[in-house]
Amino acid sequence: MPSPADERDQPLAGVRILDLTVVWAGPYATMHLADWGAEIIRIESLHHFASFTRGTVARPSQALIDTSATSGMGYPGDRAGEHPWNRSPVFNHHGRNKRSMTLDLTSPEGQEVFERLVAESDGMIENNLPPHAEELGITWERLSGINPRFILMRVPGFGVEGPYRDYRTFGNHMEAIAGHPVIRAYPDLGLDYAPASVPADAASGVGGALAFTLALRQRERTGKGVYVELATAENYVPFLSEFILDYSMNGRVWQQMGNDHWSLAPHNAYPCQGSDRWVTVACRDDAEWEALCGLMGRPALATDPRFLDMTERHAHRRELDAEIATWTREHDAHWIAQQLQARGVAAGVVLHESELLRDRHLDDRGYWQTIEHPETGTQRHVGRLWRASETPHPAARHAPMLGQDNDYVYRDLLGFTDEEIRAFAAAGHIGTEYDSSVP
Amino acid sequence: MLPLDDVRVVDLTHYAMGPFATRVLADYGADVIKIERPGGDPARRLGPFPKDEPHPERSGAFLALNTGKRSIVVDLKDANGRAIVLNLVRDAQIVVESFAPGTLDRLGLGYEALRGVNPRVVLTSVSNFGQTGPYRDWKGTDLTLYGMGGPMISQGDPSREPLKTAGRAPGYQVGYAAALASAVGLTQSERRGRGEHLDVSAFEVLAHSIDSRLGRLLGYQYNGRIVGRAGSGLGVGSGTYPCADGFVLITSGPARLGLTIRMIGREDLLEQPEWATLEARSHPDRVPEFDAYLLPWTLEHTKEEIRAACQKHGVLGGPLNTTADLFVDRNFVERGFFQTVDHPETGPLTYPGYQARFNTEPPLPLRRRAPLLGEHTVEVLRDVLGMAPAEIERLRDAGTIGVREEVRDAVAG
Repeated sequence: MPSPADERDQPLAGVRILDLTVVWAGPYATMHLADWGAEIIRIESLHHFASFTRGTVARPSQALIDTSATSGMGYPGDRAGEHPWNRSPVFNHHGRNKRSMTLDLTSPEGQEVFERLVAESDGMIENNLPPHAEELGITWERLSGINPRFILMRVPGFGVEGPYRDYRTFGNHMEAIAGHPVIRAYPDLGLDYAPASVPADAASGVGGALAFTLALRQRERTGKGVYVELATAENYVPFLSEFILDYSMNGRVWQQMGNDHWSLAPHNAYPCQGSDRWVTVACRDDAEWEALCGLMGRPALATDPRFLDMTERHAHRRELDAEIATWTREHDAHWIAQQLQARGVAAGVVLHESELLRDRHLDDRGYWQTIEHPETGTQRHVGRLWRASETPHPAARHAPMLGQDNDYVYRDLLGFTDEEIRAFAAAGHIGTEYDSSVP
Repeated sequence: MLPLDDVRVVDLTHYAMGPFATRVLADYGADVIKIERPGGDPARRLGPFPKDEPHPERSGAFLALNTGKRSIVVDLKDANGRAIVLNLVRDAQIVVESFAPGTLDRLGLGYEALRGVNPRVVLTSVSNFGQTGPYRDWKGTDLTLYGMGGPMISQGDPSREPLKTAGRAPGYQVGYAAALASAVGLTQSERRGRGEHLDVSAFEVLAHSIDSRLGRLLGYQYNGRIVGRAGSGLGVGSGTYPCADGFVLITSGPARLGLTIRMIGREDLLEQPEWATLEARSHPDRVPEFDAYLLPWTLEHTKEEIRAACQKHGVLGGPLNTTADLFVDRNFVERGFFQTVDHPETGPLTYPGYQARFNTEPPLPLRRRAPLLGEHTVEVLRDVLGMAPAEIERLRDAGTIGVREEVRDAVAG
């Protein structure tokens, strides 16, 4: 738990941000802002469960838990418990340091409370489907009218305006539309084997936190509120700049590169001793390739005409990979990585989560934060995104349980009386469990 | 007024990770002075090139990574060159560097030296493994760093090797993190009147990925399960499916399956006990059974038809676009995302647009092209440091700085 002095010394101390984010991209943006001292107040509804935010559904059946076990995002002990929404591993990671209040924005009195929150806050971040956000009254016109110094950041998939504004997708679809999976799929398998993952969400989290931080500075300079829009698909395309430029320059379309580099070889993940053990190796010049041949005990490979220089190695990269894999299969992944690094060659073990958590380098740097959570126990969490030499880095507060900060928000922040608070509870605004009608 | 148009950044980065950070700061209005070594940033040798003919002013990677910056050529091995850097740092708010850890200290340009001339300056160091620790001096590339830090072990098919992400995407995420670090560091410096040294490690940034890694790091501690590439876990009606003209990615799962059932016109299924309830749809047998309904439908429709149907029915799904598809995608086109940037050596090319849009007045201007090598050496030394033409000539003749010829001639004349 951070001390009050530690909290005061954070760069974003004193900044209050309303958080209407769902799933991953938006919550990851507010995670960074919370890490660096902003007060993040999640506004959550007891009557609506945003899938993939605090789990896939509010009250999962054991069958659903069992079938989704392979996602690696299961509940403690594969049991949902009484409050599954407080036991989701994704939420409990990105939710750290944040507060949770409950409020039903679909009712008139909910909107009145919301307006008071807007008046008392520096800004808001939301990443809902644009028409849905607008149905809840989240527009720049309205919020800047309530609080002229307000910062509204919206993080839609494709744009607040534009033909896809009501097109609901997840990060993996935004990334597919941005052109990523086609490039990274296996060279020798169909595109139906293209991996569906969401680095686009991670990019929006970082980009969103950056844009909001700059909007705060802009407001300090101008005295006026700021409206920011960051569309996840647009945010991700610059990560593929070389492909965009090559198409623009040469009309070339890159597809199914797998682990290949445009020009370097060897450049792949190679199987090692054991089950699902892999080491990556990237040789950037002849000297590094010769060092690899030396370690393999096959110096003659370096003079094999197929592998004589980078151009030849790249042209014969599948044969090259086969030669290397024959050797890596006989050795331990960590031993290979360490031996190659000792020879100045870029290599690394493809780390399972279990290994990453006890990696000696990260331990030496004090990377992990140990956080205790009332419903899941004590775990290791990733550190802050970077280390700052003059800012204290205490371990975070645990992710909030649903509605845990209602008293703070309704009473301390907004000044409602006991009687009013009871009325809000009776009307279904305040609580710590989803309504029984929520699946 | 733009968010950073009163901020100067001294840019001591090269290749890709660091330059992405300073490119983002330039997007938001910062005056980024890129200090290139004699011969230039090695990124000038990275493809793609027009007609695949290498040329230091035509590297697609360099051009995209350095829009909006000024380029000066300074030899940091020369004491007079280092003095130029220190003088620039005096009036800068941010310095970003991506040398191997320890290099800056050896050059006499470490954090203590920078703080000596400017106590408020923020120094952002971006490196593979951070400024400390047992792997500090290890080599790293996008592939190896993503494999160690990122969720690579969970990417791809269970029977095959794990897959990296495309191109330099991992490094750009690290660069983006360094831009965020610089902005937060600037906020802190402006609040407290003193700067700090920020240590951005690619390994750690990639371990942070909200993409699979964060959830799995806690998930493993929750139930001890090593998952690997066991599958998406998204359940029934989820995956990449062939269609009439390519492939589409659809995500249903038991909770959202009804939408997909309606999209493919099989409302009759909703009357059957296997498909009517959340519980029934969660059964593992439903996965292959539903694919048998979904696949014939996708095969009869095009990528755009399926995209439009998903949009209409609220199904999470869409096409797997190629890079060529992006240029004609209605949404990118109508929103004016891509920008055409002219350049004396390449002519006009299409670049990705800005990552965020602010309601600033005036709005963010179009991107300025990447600088030619040493294009701004004279301008910066003269206008920022107030150096006399004769002094600039002397430094050039000594090889301390590099000056683009036509610019030098104009000064000399």
